[in-house]
Amino acid sequence: TAAEPWPENAALYQQLKDEQILLSDNASSLAVQAFLQMCNLPIRVVCRANAEYMSPSGKLPFIHVGNQVVSELGPIVQFVKAKGHSLSDGLDEVQKAEMKAYMELVNNMLLTAELYLQWCDDATVEEITHPRYGSPYPWPLNRILSYQKQWEVRRKMKAIGWGGKTLDQVLEDVDQCCQALSQRLGTQPYFFNKQPTELDALVFGHLFTILTTQLITDELSEKVKNYSNLTAFCRRIEQQYFGGHDKDSSATVMARSAKRSLLR
Amino acid sequence: MAAPMELSCWGGDWGLPSLHPESLTVMAYAKFSGAPLTVNTINNSWRAPKGDVPALISEDTVVSQPAKILNFLRKQKYNADYQLSAKQGADTLAYIALLEEKLLPALLHTFWIEAENYCSVTKPWFASRIAFPLSLYLPGKMSREALNRIMLTRGGPPLYSLTEVEAQIYRDAKECLNLLSKRLGTSQFFFGDTPTTLDAFVFGFLAPIYKVCFPRVQLQEHLKQLPNLCRFCDDILNCYFRLTVSGHSPSGQDTADANLQKLTQLVNKESNLIEKMDDNLRKSPQHPPRKLTTLKLAAGGEESSSMNRLSP
Repeated sequence: TAAEPWPENAALYQQLKDEQILLSDNASSLAVQAFLQMCNLPIRVVCRANAEYMSPSGKLPFIHVGNQVVSELGPIVQFVKAKGHSLSDGLDEVQKAEMKAYMELVNNMLLTAELYLQWCDDATVEEITHPRYGSPYPWPLNRILSYQKQWEVRRKMKAIGWGGKTLDQVLEDVDQCCQALSQRLGTQPYFFNKQPTELDALVFGHLFTILTTQLITDELSEKVKNYSNLTAFCRRIEQQYFGGHDKDSSATVMARSAKRSLLR
Repeated sequence: MAAPMELSCWGGDWGLPSLHPESLTVMAYAKFSGAPLTVNTINNSWRAPKGDVPALISEDTVVSQPAKILNFLRKQKYNADYQLSAKQGADTLAYIALLEEKLLPALLHTFWIEAENYCSVTKPWFASRIAFPLSLYLPGKMSREALNRIMLTRGGPPLYSLTEVEAQIYRDAKECLNLLSKRLGTSQFFFGDTPTTLDAFVFGFLAPIYKVCFPRVQLQEHLKQLPNLCRFCDDILNCYFRLTVSGHSPSGQDTADANLQKLTQLVNKESNLIEKMDDNLRKSPQHPPRKLTTLKLAAGGEESSSMNRLSP
């Protein structure tokens, strides 16, 4: 039952787009934006340097709707469902199980690989992550915050068994995940044929961000480019839900920068 | 003939060949694919478990972690996923991710963190199988690692205390069990009539929950309300492990088991020959070469019955 209708001033909070936000957070934010666009719910993106600390769970993005604050895609999908909007109502029980399993696959492999790359690969950490993560803050706070976060992420990687992996093994895992997604998608427009679901939003968020983010090497985006149906999928969602709409300025900026790199 | 392979893993009880989910997964996969493994369960000898358990030792290579061991077995041509299409292979990966994210935390909690369970069942059992003085240290270390893993992956804000995290992980685990039950439906295995990698992983995670007698059993009670999953575990135990409730395997059924293994190996070898003739089949959705070979092996019976059908 919908408690209140979706307000006009709903906002999505993330870090500063150009200087601060990292690959994994950008992917998560884009996934939520895509999901809300697919549900036809308007949202404006607000960039704040301290977004991570404002979030109730410490993870980004979070949305501020009415007087409620919800973070991360899973809880946001539940929250939107409680308001009466859902993308997966048309699926039967077995399909819903499959959808949840594939969403875990993306979190388990793609998101973890992104975190590994940006916090455990020394070259990327030095050149990209450290400068970006602490950029809104003065020295030495920027370094301290950055090292603290790195220590946290490395602890988690070790606990789940990724501590001993090399970058090549991680890229192998990314390839395996992309292959699975590509095989599951096949020639369909969306993962569950005609209508997009939260799975499509999640996959789009991660793959599009990987394809359009400049890292030290192109190895990560090359893994995704190997699968033409995945790049076509990203282009399709971008055109349908982000391109050609002038209502959200950040979406058009993203569309323009995407066109620059996807069409290269 | 492949070099003899040894699997070093934790032993079993309560009718299970092993209590450890990862060891159980590898053992089940070996049975499904017909790989000849000598199983060495870790016991009181001085050869304490070094590094990861389970570990596969073949000639000079040591492979650890279930995913890598299964990959190794597949490279040795022991492949249980022959008849899967590309999409089914993708589904396998997705469901394994679901198991690791949603079910494993609660499983670890039931074994290693729930105080009554740990003190009365898990610690004494593991300690009795490790040599002194390591038995004083190793179970505690495994428990701490389990707690660490759960708190780091699921214990972020707004859940600050262990009790809040516990409630969440058991909710997730029960939902995961429900999803698995819906996916399995009324089939015998997850992809039809032959067991595959996914069946090995699901069995590895479910069987310890199902069979081990703990004082605190909320997960087991939930599992028992899903009869198709219980039937799934029992079927695999009866067909592939042939252990009676007391845990002893009758010698007569051993030879039947060995024959079944030999037959599966022969079938695998035949399909390998066909596979070598057309390398492309490996990449595209699998055609069922095994069906061709079973026809060939049972040539006498099949032909006579088909001739009977032709001439009424």
